Amino acid sequence: MAEKNKKKKSSTAQTAAKRMLLGGGTMTEEQEAVLTPMQMVFRSFVHDKVAMAGVICFLFIFLCCVVVPFFMPIDMYYQDVTQANVAPGFGMLEVPKGLQGNAKQIAIGSTFSVGIDEEGNVYEWGRFPTDKLKKLPSDMGKITQISAGLDHVVALNEDGEVITWGNDRMGLSSIPMEIRMGEKIVEVYAGYQFSLALAEDGTLYNWGNSYLVDMKFPEGVQGNIAKFDANTDIVMVMTKDGRVAALTGKSNTYTAIPEEIQGHVVDIAVSDESVAAVTDDGMVYTWGNNIKKSQNLPEEILGHVTAIEGGRYHYVVTLDDGSVQAWGDDTFGQTRVPSVSAPVKTIVAGYYGSYAIDENDKVYSWGLDGYLMGTDDFGRDIFRRLLKGGRMTMTVGAIAVIISTFIGVIVGGVSGYKGGKVDNLLMRLTEIVSSLPFLPFAIILSAIIGNSISETQRIIMIMIILGLLSWPGIARLVRGSVLAEREQEFVTAAKALGVKEWSIIFRHILPNVITVIIVNATLDFATCMLTESSLSFIGFGVTEPNATWGNMLNSARSATVIENYWWRWVFPALVLAICTISINCIGDGLRDAIDPKSKER
Amino acid sequence: MRKGRWLVKRLIYIVFVFFIISILMFAIYKALPGDPVKMMMSDNVKPEVYQQQYDTIRKQLGLDQPVPVQYVKWITNMLRGDFGYSTEYRRAVKDVIGVPMRNTVLLNLFSMVVVFLIAVPLGITQAVKKNSIFDKVVQVITIVGYSVPSFVIALLAIYVFAIKIPIFPISGVKTAGFEGTGIAAFLDAAKHMALPVLVMSVGGIGSIARYVRASMIDALRMDYIKTARSKGLREKVVIYVHAFRNALIPIVTVTTWWLIGLFGGSIVIETIFLWDGLGKMMISGLNQRDFSVVLAMQMFYVILSLLGNVIMDIAYTLVDPRVRLEN
Repeated sequence: MAEKNKKKKSSTAQTAAKRMLLGGGTMTEEQEAVLTPMQMVFRSFVHDKVAMAGVICFLFIFLCCVVVPFFMPIDMYYQDVTQANVAPGFGMLEVPKGLQGNAKQIAIGSTFSVGIDEEGNVYEWGRFPTDKLKKLPSDMGKITQISAGLDHVVALNEDGEVITWGNDRMGLSSIPMEIRMGEKIVEVYAGYQFSLALAEDGTLYNWGNSYLVDMKFPEGVQGNIAKFDANTDIVMVMTKDGRVAALTGKSNTYTAIPEEIQGHVVDIAVSDESVAAVTDDGMVYTWGNNIKKSQNLPEEILGHVTAIEGGRYHYVVTLDDGSVQAWGDDTFGQTRVPSVSAPVKTIVAGYYGSYAIDENDKVYSWGLDGYLMGTDDFGRDIFRRLLKGGRMTMTVGAIAVIISTFIGVIVGGVSGYKGGKVDNLLMRLTEIVSSLPFLPFAIILSAIIGNSISETQRIIMIMIILGLLSWPGIARLVRGSVLAEREQEFVTAAKALGVKEWSIIFRHILPNVITVIIVNATLDFATCMLTESSLSFIGFGVTEPNATWGNMLNSARSATVIENYWWRWVFPALVLAICTISINCIGDGLRDAIDPKSKER
Repeated sequence: MRKGRWLVKRLIYIVFVFFIISILMFAIYKALPGDPVKMMMSDNVKPEVYQQQYDTIRKQLGLDQPVPVQYVKWITNMLRGDFGYSTEYRRAVKDVIGVPMRNTVLLNLFSMVVVFLIAVPLGITQAVKKNSIFDKVVQVITIVGYSVPSFVIALLAIYVFAIKIPIFPISGVKTAGFEGTGIAAFLDAAKHMALPVLVMSVGGIGSIARYVRASMIDALRMDYIKTARSKGLREKVVIYVHAFRNALIPIVTVTTWWLIGLFGGSIVIETIFLWDGLGKMMISGLNQRDFSVVLAMQMFYVILSLLGNVIMDIAYTLVDPRVRLEN
């Protein structure tokens, strides 16, 4: 009541006069009573719970696919075998309680980490590529140094004994005779399918898969080594007199060592395809290929660096004031160093993670903590590919629908309005196209045309093929509706006024059948997404490295994958299913809203 | 009388459509990558006789004749069942497609039977018990059934019925090295067919049950149903004879479309389950660039879809005597 009074007060004299003329009844009530057909449709659609749930689900997935890739970028060509088939979940950097505040040394493996405390006890955490890693050898003694590789661990105890566990194939378990005979080892290293050990006298030993890293010692290096680091294809060493050498017989990107640093090097680190060295004046020099910004070091650290560590695409350094800096690839947050409360004693970087241990033995960690939905056989993050794939699947579906709706509306509109011979001809054409077997035809076209064109052209081609083959349905519907509308009086009136035929069809009749078109386009969108997925699934749609939900499932087709790597097919399948179910619910809801008769069903 | 004339007219029209499509197929055939003449020639031909030999083979293949003549020749061969020579199998195409065709037809027929046996009674029951809990639950299931792509259902079915509870084989048509006849052979085949048929049926059941339900509800609202009930007919007769017959027209339409799609869709299923059928053969033909096989498959699918149209026309006249046949 109070509200009504308020409104009355606020109404102007003009409206009051109008009301007097019209005789009672406020304007607001009148406006509520009259609804355009569109508003009616909208109202009943909003009240349809199933359809609204569909809208929410679809919008959620759609927004995720559009927005999230900006925050979680992905390089479609990126592959990393060390991260292959990692199960979903986090906690790769979660340092065990026993180690926190008591850590002596930590090492990072592909998707797991190992650490030792001051008492020499071994801790393991993260996601283990093989169960053999969990079987720690008994009575190892007091461990003084430890290192983790792709799927094996090498440790050194206080008696100078080298112990290894984890993957034992490719000679990883056969420790060289010299080491077992009592050579005094000071440092061990576990790499990608190989292990290294440095003896006190400066000799470097290696065992494991020697095909990957072909070690050739330049003159005067073996027996004189102080430090070393390795990636998947090179071992770099620093000699006792501060020189750097690449252990290879060929000259390549690693051997392009800057001359001016020779004799002054205090620490070296290797990342994928590049090497960094710290000199005695606190400068950092890098060489190799600048992959993923790994050589874009910040200017302000120069002259203050004391130690360096390299991950797969990032470097971490400690500065002379005890703080930590990192640069390089930031896909998994490798360069987002947390603030430390005390000066840092040791840093560790490996693969995509990093740790820092401060003076109080407190451990900080940053970098790759895990994959929300795991990784596929090429080590690609499934969640990120899912988002990209969603964008691709939806784009292809949407453009295909736009093409088919456009053709369908024109053919249906002209055919329905014109009638007679034109109608007959166009409908025969429609019939011919609709009697083409859809999937076989799409496959054969894609195979023949897609043979000689680029990736982008291929995607455009898929859109066009889908659009060109799926218009007959919409053309029939539009024709039917136009047939019903064209006998109405407003069309006769428009004709009498001399409105052009084209204009009558598309400006007078079409707005009256727009609802039919919208509903059909929605349902067609789901169908096109499904067809695109089916095509990509059997390998005739969008192909690698571009992701779509269909081709993500393609690689998950074998029984081994279905059984062992469930995350590779469950997530794409689930999201595809939810998406098409929601779109179909939306389409059904729209149809019910537009045609109230169908709701009674 | 009029009905017969209409059917003949439709048949003539469909033959006409067939020829239009066959021209399209011929265009595809001509667009295939690779020069067929060069493929026929051996590599170590001396350059001086190369052109001469090239022309001879070209003439043999009839490629020197004008395109319409080539088309007529091609389509006559196709209609005679001469689909050319398969480079993958090194035999005439018509000799290698027998078994796959039987397998595909078998698979699709079985799925069809399963779908009809389940979808029609399901849809009718839903319509009769409209808005009951049963109806609502089945509606949710059917919408999921027809929305979810078949290959997703296939992966799920493999995971559940072949890996977690290994009761069915993962793939293949029969057990390797299986030598049996009669009932044993049938059981073995049935076991292998179970999963593909299950997967193919889910989508079909979903969409057909929904259509049956919708058209049955429309039919049950009609006045003649009231009349039939007031005459004291049994409810069963009212539903299955009076209502269902009238609900059949939309069902026939959607069924025909589904049938045509079924054979096309079985390509995906056959590749997943390594079912030795036409779809798998077509995919492997495309991958091996064995285009004679691919075209033969394509021809099969075209004929099938046209046949589907004919069946639809005949079915219309059968289920509804009122169908006006001029249009």
